[in-house]
Formats: sequence, structure tokens, C-alpha cells
Amino acid sequence: MSQFLLVLVSGLASGAVYGLMGLGLVIIYRATDVVNFAMASLATLGLYVAVSLHDHGVATVLGILAAVAITVAAGLLVRETVIRPLGQGQLFSALVVTMGVSLIAESTAGSIWGDQPKSFPSLVDGTVRWSGAALPVQSLVTIGVAAVAMTLVGYLFARTTLGSAMRAVAESADTARVVGLSAQRLARISWALGLGLAALAACLYAPRAGLVPTALVAPLFRAFAGIFLGGLTSMYGAVLGGLTIGVLDNLAANYVSASFRDTFVFTFTVLVLLIRPQGMFGTRTFQRV
Amino acid sequence: MFRTVRKLRRAAGTAAVLAAVALTANACAGQDSAGAAASSSEIHIGAWLPLTGSTAAYGVPEKAGADAYFKMLNAQGGVNGRKIRWTVKDNAADPQQTVQIARELIGQDKVVAIVNANGTSQAEAAFPFVLNQSRVPVLNEVGGAENWYKPPRPGLFGTQTLYEDQAAAVAAWAVQDGARKILVVHSDPAAFVNVAKQVEPVAKKVDPSVEVDRLPVKYQTTDYTPVISKVKAAKPQAVILILTSPEAAAFVKEAKLQGLSLPTYAYAPVAAESTISLAKNAAEGLKAVQLVKAPSDPDPSVKEFRAAMAKYEPGQDAGFLALWGWSNAKVFAQIAKTVKGPVTSQAIVAAYQKASSVDPGVSPVMRFGADDHLGTRSVQRVVVKNGVWTSVGSFYTPPARD
Repeated sequence: MSQFLLVLVSGLASGAVYGLMGLGLVIIYRATDVVNFAMASLATLGLYVAVSLHDHGVATVLGILAAVAITVAAGLLVRETVIRPLGQGQLFSALVVTMGVSLIAESTAGSIWGDQPKSFPSLVDGTVRWSGAALPVQSLVTIGVAAVAMTLVGYLFARTTLGSAMRAVAESADTARVVGLSAQRLARISWALGLGLAALAACLYAPRAGLVPTALVAPLFRAFAGIFLGGLTSMYGAVLGGLTIGVLDNLAANYVSASFRDTFVFTFTVLVLLIRPQGMFGTRTFQRV
Repeated sequence: MFRTVRKLRRAAGTAAVLAAVALTANACAGQDSAGAAASSSEIHIGAWLPLTGSTAAYGVPEKAGADAYFKMLNAQGGVNGRKIRWTVKDNAADPQQTVQIARELIGQDKVVAIVNANGTSQAEAAFPFVLNQSRVPVLNEVGGAENWYKPPRPGLFGTQTLYEDQAAAVAAWAVQDGARKILVVHSDPAAFVNVAKQVEPVAKKVDPSVEVDRLPVKYQTTDYTPVISKVKAAKPQAVILILTSPEAAAFVKEAKLQGLSLPTYAYAPVAAESTISLAKNAAEGLKAVQLVKAPSDPDPSVKEFRAAMAKYEPGQDAGFLALWGWSNAKVFAQIAKTVKGPVTSQAIVAAYQKASSVDPGVSPVMRFGADDHLGTRSVQRVVVKNGVWTSVGSFYTPPARD
């Protein structure tokens, strides 16, 4: 039982990271039709800034806030300089551009901070014992912080005027413009929110994995699996998809094979998509020919 | 209009002829290089190293270590009065780029040998041009595989104890420490599996009653919670890690969190400064084998390395990877000193074949021969003490593998 609890909590912590990243991806995709492959690499730049600040004696929490600020600023710069000029509806062009930005960001991080792995400070150390299992406090904090962030995002979209406006733009930018909403302003807010969530996810993930320029490639890959599993257009789907991937990944490693954890998880994802192509919470769209 | 077309055709024809001449000249230059490039004032050698990209963390310090040695050597007068000129080009760990670099080094720069380069697949891509076509030797490459040396290939000499022998050495160490039930935790790509498979036969050679089991883990796993749970369930007396440095760091961190305290051994890639910086105090007591003595060692040869690094490469860490580069450079220089007359590619190969005892001090004594192109099977045992890799005893040669 204690082993199951340990594996479950660890899987939830990983899944919370994938869920936060997936949520960021979906917010940006819905608002601007851009699948942002550069999100993880831009968040890595933020992480390096946080580590540098920590090395100079700045508190970890302030470092994390700086990481979020840097990631958001870098993301907005990318959007204004290379994504926005592409115009609306350029899905594939934007995809390739974000891939290019991702490579440039990784290369920049490697040039400035080097390629040697660096450790990223935990918010908290130690374990708490529960039902015989020693649960890492960092994992519990990860789950808690992610839950709070997700709740706030849910509140923003469901209960605030700004959230309603963002949802309106996601449904139809043209119609939103007709009723006086600034699509560009809301797109910028969506990018800032999405990248902020990615940076937060990165800060929660890095203490476990360490920091290299490509550190966030693996969680981004799983976040994508999560949003396809949950439904590309659904924010709830992104969160639940990420959590499902994280938990299944760990259960597979523990009860099936530590070597076939990816195989198991992605086989499950493929099966779900075969049965429900729009994902668990996605909406099926029909186009009249 | 027609005159313009005729002019264009003529220009295209001229360009084609020039290109053909250039290509032929280049090819001839490559073929001639084996016997050429012997200068009375310098020995020009080259290398491809990953100075950018995903494995730059290896290439940059390796270059710094070798650079420090060659600068120190040149300041002391060089090799028999000849200065060493080491031309390094960045291959970004790309095999295709490595082939291009090999052509430049041999065809244009006229190097007499490739020394202290880095990368197994990268070198293999360049072997047909370098070893077979140009007959330029590849010496002391970081990387390599058993089939590079069995059977020996003309012009290919190595100084790095094979990963398989490293695994044999940690297996023997664990058994000598009293472990009778060993679990090998390894990444799942074939390169790791092949190394992990070497543990059991050697462990049983040391003590036939030893039980060895293997636990494969997905490559680049960062969440080791389920892995540690499996290790706990297996109840081994010792664990051997055939993982990368970040994976091993994640393993020992998670083991500490879950209260798993077992003697843990690892092969050389884990014995890196990055393991300690990532795992912090969870790495304390971790045992591993290395190709060289610990950079903190009080041995005079290691002190000389630290002093040269501080003087010639002040911005670089004097760590294991720099010491690898230093050791490879030193082995080359010691063998090059034995060459009488012009230092050509053939003369260097002949000198390596006769180098029956080369002692770089920081790494095991290298013994080459006409049929033995790998200089050593020995390793240095190291352990993390007070947050620093520390040498344990002298160099150790594991039991022979079947």
C-alpha cells in the first residue's frame, strides 16, 4: 500500500507539471491558433536566470518569480516580433517558427550558462510519513501549487470579465472584434498567461531533473500527449490529460516495466484517440464540404 | 541574347573545369598527407570535438585539459625541440560534420594524426577517409567500442578502458566488498545493456555464489520513485548503476528520500562532477571507477595538472573531463618523443606499436603493441567523500572477461 501511495503521489506531481504546461499550450492555442513549441525552451531561459539569482544569494521564491517574469517577457517578445507578423491562421508557419525559436533559445542558454547539468533548488526539502510511505514534501508542494494555479486559471476564465473576453476571442476573433474587444491585447494576455504557467511548471519540475538547455523537452513531449489525450481545445482536458499521463507513467514503471513506461503510456493514448479522436474532453468539429 | 547565353555556357564550362581541378587537387592532397607534413619546427596534429551542441559539456573541458598540457609542453621546449600545434574543430557531435572536418584537417591543414578527438559514432563516420584512404592515425579518441581494437585496426590506438571493463571492475569491487546479491540498474538502450551484461560473469568469477539481477530503466528517466520501489522490493546487498550522470544523480537522490541505504557502485560516466552538483549530499559514499585519478588527488602528476590548468586555462574547471584531455595529450607527447627523425604519420604509428610502457601518472600505465592497440584495461576506484570525488588505492585491473 505504501509503495502504491508513493508511486501515485510521485505520478500526480509529474502529472501536475505536464498539466500546467498543457494548460499553457491550450490557452495560447485557443487564443492565437499557435502551437507553441518554444514554450519549454523559453521557460528554460527563465530557469537559468533563477539559478543565477539563487547562486548570488537571492531567495528561491524570488528566483521563481523572476523566472516567470523573464519567460513571459521573452514569450511576448517572440510573439510581437516573429509570430504576429505572420498574421492570423498561419498554423503551420507559426509551428515551424516556434520550433526555430526553441532551438535558438536552447543554443542561447548553452552559450551563456554552459551545457554542464546544474542543480535547481527545491522549494522545500524532506519527507512526510503517511500510511508507511515517506512522501517527498517537494512532490506535495508541486501538486498543491499546480492545483492553486489551475484553480485560479479556472476562476479567471469562468468568473471574470477578462476571462469571458478571452473565451469570446477563442470562439471567434472576428465576432469579438465586432463587439469591441481587442483581439491583439487579449492574445498578448493569453501568451503571458500560458508562458507564466509553463515557467511555473518548469520551476516545479527542475529540482528533480536538474537543469540543462534541453531539460524541458521530455515534459513538453508528455504535456503534448496530455493535451491530445484530454482534447486540444479543452483546458480541463489538458489538466486531466497531463495528470493521467503522469500517473500512468509511474504505475507502468512500477507494475509493468521501468523500461516500457513510455510505450505503455503512449499505447494507451493512441487507443483513446482511436476511440475518441477529439480526446477525452475535446469537441468534435464538422466542416461542410 | 544568343551572345549572353553563349557567355553563360562558357562561364559554366570554366567553372566546371576549375571545380574538377580543385576536387582532384584536394583528393591528391588527402592521399599524400600520410607521408607528408613532417616539419622540423612543429608537430601538427588535429581533433574534432563537440564544442557546441548537446555534448559540448564533454568537448569543452576535454579541449581545455589537452590545451593546458600542450601549452605547458611547448613552454618547456616541446617534443624533441618541436612545438605541438593542435588544431581543434567543432563537430557539434555530428558524424557528417566530422567527416567534413576530417577532410579539412588532413587535406588542408596537413595534420599528421588525429589526437584526443571525441565521439564513437563521429569517429566511425570518419574512419573510412582518415584511416583507410588517408592512412592518418586516430590516437587516444575519447569513446570507442570493443570492435575498434579486436581485431586491431591499422592506425587506431586508444587509451580509454572499455565500458565493458569498467563494468567488470565495479562488479569485482562490489563482490570484494562482500555483496552477494547485486542489482544492476541500467538505462535501456543497447549500449547500456551490453555493458550491464558484463557484471554477472565477472562477479561470478570472483565468487560463484553471487546472484546478479538486472533492472532496465527508460533512458533519461527523471522520476526514479518507482525504480527505487522496485530496488527495495528486490532486496539487493549492493546496486551497480550503468546510467548517465544525471540519471545516477536522480537515482541516489530518490534513494535517500525513500530511506534506501545500499552500497552503490557506478561506471566512469557517473564519476563526474555533475553527479555531485545534481545530487548534493545524496551522492556521499557513492563509489565509481574512473579512467584517471581524482582531480583532487595529492599525487604530483595531478598537482602538475591542476597548476597547469590554473595557469593556462584559468576559466575552466580542473575536473575529470579536463584530466582525460590532459592524459591523452600526455600519452601522445610521451610516445612522440620516442620518434627519431621526421614525425610523420607512419613514424607515429610505429612509435605507438613499440610503446610498451607509457606512464602518464594521472592515468594507468599504457602498454601498446603491434597486436594490442588499446593501452589499458585498468581503472581508478573513486568515492565521494565530503562532496568530492576521492581516489581509493592505486589503479586496478579487473579480472579478464570471457
